[in-house]
Amino acid sequence: MQHSTPKDIGAINFGLMEPEEYREMSATKIITADTYDDDGFPIDMGLMDPRLGVIDPGLECKTCGQHSGSCNGHFGHIELAAPVIHVGFTKLIRRLLRGTCRECSKLLLTEDERDEFRADIEESRKLSRDLNDVTKAAIRQARKKDRCPHCGEIQYDIDHEKPTTYYEVQQVLTSEYSQRIAAAMQGGEDGERMAPDELAEETEIDLTRINEILSGSFRPRESQRKSIEKALDIDLTEEDTNKLMPSDIRDWFEAIPDEDIEVLGINPERSRPEWMILTVLPVPPVTARPSITLDNGQRSEDDLTHKLVDIIRINQRFMENREAGAPQLIIEDLWELLQYHVTTFMDNEISGTPPARHRSGRPLKTLSQRLKGKEGRFRGSLSGKRVNFSDRTVISPDPTLSLNEVGVPDRVAKEMTQTMNVTERNLEEARRFVSNGPEGHPGANYVRRPDGRRLKVTEKNCEQLAEKVEAGWEVNRHLIDGDIIIFNRQPSLHRMSIMAHEVVVMPYKTFRLNTVVCPPYNADFDGDEMNMHALQNEEARAEARVLMRVQEQMLSPRFGENIIGAIQDHISGTYLLTHDNPRFNETQALDLLRATRIDELPEPSGIDDEGKPFWTGYDVFSELLPNDLNLEFTGTIGEDVIIEDGQLLEGTIAEDEVGEFGGEIVDTITKVYGNTRARIFVNEISTLAMRAIMHFGFSIGIDDETIPGEAQARIDETIDDANDRVEELIEAYERGELESLPGRTLDETLEMKIMQTLSRARDNAGNIADEHFEDDNPAVVMANSGARGSMLNLTQMAGAVGQQAVRGERINRGYEDRTLSHYEPNDLSAEAHGFVENSYTSGLTPREFFFHAMGGREGLVDTAVRTSKSGYLQRRLINALSELETQYDGTVRDTSDTIVQFEFGEDGTSPVLVSSGDDNDIDVDSIADRVLESEFDSEEAREAFVTRKPAPTNLSEHADSRVVDSTEVTSDD
Amino acid sequence: MVDVSQHELVPEHTVLEDDVLEGVLSEYDIDRTDLPKIKRTDAALPDDAEAGDVVKIVRNSRTTDQAIIYRLVVE
Repeated sequence: MQHSTPKDIGAINFGLMEPEEYREMSATKIITADTYDDDGFPIDMGLMDPRLGVIDPGLECKTCGQHSGSCNGHFGHIELAAPVIHVGFTKLIRRLLRGTCRECSKLLLTEDERDEFRADIEESRKLSRDLNDVTKAAIRQARKKDRCPHCGEIQYDIDHEKPTTYYEVQQVLTSEYSQRIAAAMQGGEDGERMAPDELAEETEIDLTRINEILSGSFRPRESQRKSIEKALDIDLTEEDTNKLMPSDIRDWFEAIPDEDIEVLGINPERSRPEWMILTVLPVPPVTARPSITLDNGQRSEDDLTHKLVDIIRINQRFMENREAGAPQLIIEDLWELLQYHVTTFMDNEISGTPPARHRSGRPLKTLSQRLKGKEGRFRGSLSGKRVNFSDRTVISPDPTLSLNEVGVPDRVAKEMTQTMNVTERNLEEARRFVSNGPEGHPGANYVRRPDGRRLKVTEKNCEQLAEKVEAGWEVNRHLIDGDIIIFNRQPSLHRMSIMAHEVVVMPYKTFRLNTVVCPPYNADFDGDEMNMHALQNEEARAEARVLMRVQEQMLSPRFGENIIGAIQDHISGTYLLTHDNPRFNETQALDLLRATRIDELPEPSGIDDEGKPFWTGYDVFSELLPNDLNLEFTGTIGEDVIIEDGQLLEGTIAEDEVGEFGGEIVDTITKVYGNTRARIFVNEISTLAMRAIMHFGFSIGIDDETIPGEAQARIDETIDDANDRVEELIEAYERGELESLPGRTLDETLEMKIMQTLSRARDNAGNIADEHFEDDNPAVVMANSGARGSMLNLTQMAGAVGQQAVRGERINRGYEDRTLSHYEPNDLSAEAHGFVENSYTSGLTPREFFFHAMGGREGLVDTAVRTSKSGYLQRRLINALSELETQYDGTVRDTSDTIVQFEFGEDGTSPVLVSSGDDNDIDVDSIADRVLESEFDSEEAREAFVTRKPAPTNLSEHADSRVVDSTEVTSDD
Repeated sequence: MVDVSQHELVPEHTVLEDDVLEGVLSEYDIDRTDLPKIKRTDAALPDDAEAGDVVKIVRNSRTTDQAIIYRLVVE
């Protein structure tokens, strides 16, 4: 029980573990590779020893006495018959071997050099630089030494054969030295011959010795070898490799002095390098490698257990063989095998070693594989949490909801509960929930008595249970209208991908949302699904309501303008309503405003010829505006929009006025009148617009993109013209008369000119088509208002589709020297390179269709590549920024308190709370004057405030630890 | 050679006096090594800046007129 209190983590130390520490924390030594005996009981000192913890429910742990679930398990240990290298440290071991003396184990640096590097390390640590740079430099310098500066021993190169073998490479006299000397004395192709007596003279070796050497009966000493080498200019050495056994390395490392380790960035108080060579292997508790019982009653062991079995088997064989006095060769083989098993126990994906496999051929999942990668412990289990009280289903639109609301299916509402603390005041309500049972809608699923007992509410017991409910109970009631929940659509790329909504319980199976919240979620209704999370405590609900509700997210933190506003049909609707300022009779005007708060029409705008009152579109629209709104700006269609005292006087309301990304009116209302007013405005605009578009009727058909024959003839003419001009260009090119543009080759010039000509042709075709479209053409209305589509789309539908491009050039690929086999080789004409003369309405020819598909495919590939690339980019960016935090003193710091920005964003402002755009500068002085004016009645009080001594501000929150004198604290409050 | 420190887009860099530096460090309750760094070879630095100095950079800001940043000069 003493383990149950949660504790704060003060600090985490990383270092190596001492073998003795492994033994101390071990619950038992493991000596047998068997797990269970014939009766199915775990074998003592086996891998499933009951002292390592319990996994079967009902059993008691032999170490701590707790039951499965509360016992975390206990480590055991295996005494390794021979030391083995820990794979995780192979690089560091190599570095240490190379940097220290093979004889006295001291660092191969003079004391001065050593102290210099130690100072460098200190410096790097302070500046939070990479220590590796310094330690690498230290090793590099140490490796340069041929002899130990302390004991004078000659140093050899260390070769590392991955993963865990180290060799010492020595230069020794080759066995064929006599032949080599003789060959050199014969002289090479141009060398002169040298007699033995000459050699003897030059090397100052006795002639008899020379002769002995030449006959191979005397091995020259090192000094003699060197002088012969020098005299004959030959190399008499060969490499001799001497394998370093882990035990040798361990002995070597044990002698490294503490002061020398520090220079390599290791803290000798915590870690000794010899601990990188294992003599004891900790055995993870059974809870970390639970065995599972299959349907047929057979036990199936965890991969780690399998690996441990291998280790123990080899370990035992090793010991037996050594005691039996087996030959060195066999011992070494077993040693290597033990090394292999311990290596793969820790990491089974080492390059150069075959992975240990299961009997079925599947590679084992060992320690490192459990931690690594997307599905590993860190990214998969610790950062990737799974939660209760969440739900996911298809979304569909519901324009009758407020943008703050979400329609939740009743079957979801009955599953997601909210905890209700029963008091005297809500007792009746709570009883009603319980008596409705789990099936009836606003019902309850569970109740909790004050003694902590949790009871399930069922259809049978709900009536009785309802009577028992008293103050102090908790009732888990169903979601009801007005509850707040969190709503999310993946990919959650920005803050507005997760927003809080108020619940409206509805029939059927989909989540319903107002169409104006589609842009922030980037949602549509072609099968999109979204997630809902029911909040489980009062703080979370309060936070969600205050900070996360849709209306609080109207302004984008990216550019500080609204990202919620009218979309698509809403914009067409307001455009139709205000474009020609149409007139409506009373019924019509009331119908337009029926879904808004306006239930009484204003004074009529005028009386028509028949003597009946009428209301203009401007006046109807103005009903939704705040009464004192004043605005003047250039609108979507290039005309001025003027609003005075909440009355639209001039202009057409379309995308730039009420649209989703920076609609001027929505933006201003949000900033000046607040989020709530803006929410009301957007809701009402969308309903008004829907009524308006339904009043006028808005539909589009093929006739709306068809042009008269006479216009078609003119388009054909321009296209023919363009073709002729392209032909002329090609002829000029072939005659060599084409002049190249500056910085371009002749070929490029021709391509550019053709592209220019053809794009002009398409524009001309578009213009001709445009002339024949009325302003009330639905496609034109949508394009002009910014609701959807552009004039280019219209051009392509009615005029000509135009040049198809791949990689920004005309289509050039396909066959040798031509795009399709329908064309002559090297045909440069427009048609042969993907110019589509037809419009979508007239239909593309098969060849045009093919070129069009080529261009279209490129677009699809681009988007696919772009999303994956940018997703990875964003992941890295977010991981890098996630630990930065704005402190109370306004600075942005990382977890080690290093300052990243002295003021959030270098200006301490939030884009959401600052007026966007360059043209409206903030007049701080006048705002300050206004605030002071309203704050103080008398001039003296004001003066006293303005001239008072400023309290010390901008204190770091880390100042808490310092002694702050009490007067400062009081004056700060 | 162009002297970039005279360019209009390069903000003013001045080496901080020791006593002023004390004030800055105590204001933020940090060591000088917790400051952002700038390489000594940075062309915007004044000629007399040495490794270990702290420079004050005054940038123009659209929102706050001036943004003041301190950086530690490193090798």
